[in-house]
Amino acid sequence: MISIDSVAYMSKLKKMEPRQKLAFALVTLGTCIWADYVIVSVAVIFIMGFTTVCRGGVPLRTFLRLFTVPMSFLLLSVITIAVNVSELPELLLISIPLSGKWIGVTRHGLHEAAGLFLKALGAVSCLYFLSLNTPMVDVLAALRKLKAPKLLVELMGLVYRFIFVLLETSNTIITAQNARLGYTRLSTGYHALGMLASSLFIRTYKRSDELYTALESRGYDGELNVLEEPYDSSLTGCAAAAAVNTVLILASIYLK
Amino acid sequence: MDLSKRVQLFLCISVLVLLIPLKADAMHIMEGFLPPMWCLVWGLLTLPFVVIGLKSIKRIIAENPRLKILLAMAGAFAFVLSALKLPSVTGSCSHPTGVGFGAILFGPTVMSVLGLIVLLFQSLLLAHGGLTTLGANTFSMAVVGPLVAYGVFVLVRKMRGSQSMAIFLGAALGDLLTYMTTSVQLALAFPAEIGGFAASMAKFMGIFAVTQIPLAVSEGILTVLIFNAIAAYGKDELKLLKFFPEGGMNHVK
Repeated sequence: MISIDSVAYMSKLKKMEPRQKLAFALVTLGTCIWADYVIVSVAVIFIMGFTTVCRGGVPLRTFLRLFTVPMSFLLLSVITIAVNVSELPELLLISIPLSGKWIGVTRHGLHEAAGLFLKALGAVSCLYFLSLNTPMVDVLAALRKLKAPKLLVELMGLVYRFIFVLLETSNTIITAQNARLGYTRLSTGYHALGMLASSLFIRTYKRSDELYTALESRGYDGELNVLEEPYDSSLTGCAAAAAVNTVLILASIYLK
Repeated sequence: MDLSKRVQLFLCISVLVLLIPLKADAMHIMEGFLPPMWCLVWGLLTLPFVVIGLKSIKRIIAENPRLKILLAMAGAFAFVLSALKLPSVTGSCSHPTGVGFGAILFGPTVMSVLGLIVLLFQSLLLAHGGLTTLGANTFSMAVVGPLVAYGVFVLVRKMRGSQSMAIFLGAALGDLLTYMTTSVQLALAFPAEIGGFAASMAKFMGIFAVTQIPLAVSEGILTVLIFNAIAAYGKDELKLLKFFPEGGMNHVK
């Protein structure tokens, strides 16, 4: 139902120690944002693309298609940053007059916007590496080992499991509503969506109540403990990750 | 640099064509968009709210352990709601945030924790938002939004406004303030070259206001519809919710 989730379970890097993947993704992400260099950003996109597609065995199409998800936000914001309003047209590279003022782009603004565009895509590729190769259960295991607040991790685990139950319910309801022309007009759309959300909520509530009763009758005392799968930790993976980041950091220091 | 009328017209049209299909749905700041300093600042600003939220959840659970499962279900509900398409006044579709709904039902402190979890899952499972921008997004969506929604709801109820009015205004204003906070965050991180923070703020507000005001109204209407339906069909089942803060579900008739 959630494509990223199912891809993560099929990844060849699934067995790898999640803390290693987390560290690699986050350190590279940090480097990419800190360096703020076009070359570094492009390098990060390629490195993450290579590891995800060649090492993780994630289809290239899936990886590329994900880049369209944040595109509307990215384009809108980058254009907003690049376009400036000024009273002096000399400051602007290209400009359009509008009621006594000039709207246009400056050379510096264009550079900044292009750099930002690539930097954000580089950062996003790090996020995709993590989420396409690490099932959520493993992320939670890593968080638990990293001593994140117990209550938070437990709530996250529960939320994750409930998401799929609710998605299935809501999909069934949406199909039923569509079959009865529920979303053909705006007014009926509102009505249908209101019905969907409220009945989903009431079902959610009942289900949680039943679940608690079921858990309690099996000796639930406030904690759900499950066995964790064994993970492979590879030294070569660590070394490669460290090497990649050292090169990136040195390159950006040199460029600065 | 003087451009001929024809070129100007062409530029105008191409900008419009570029902007029209971009519906600013799921207005989370994307991964890697904010400079490191602002990631830290917003993260640190959000932290106390999450800590307070966790403490209040602990207290609620100690009182009634059944509510832990309910809160987790509520988090999953918010996630599923955010993955749905919302029919908007302009005819386009976008995501309902569910911020107002959760805040009115559970109170703002609980929502900061649930919001954090939902935003983390959205970034990892749906590629909406990001890890470095988690602090900023949590601040706008799970701290400012719920506080405003809850505050407005309580205020309107105190002033003897009707139930529906309070829910509508709470949800709509909570939604709007969430997006305004996002604009402020973007403007602070990217002050305009000409005119600085104020000019940048005007740009972001201008662009997002156009898309967000209709959305906020839709969100308000939808929240009222949801509350009405729940009050009509689920009143008996929802008795447990009286453990939540004053002004919550127990006020719905």
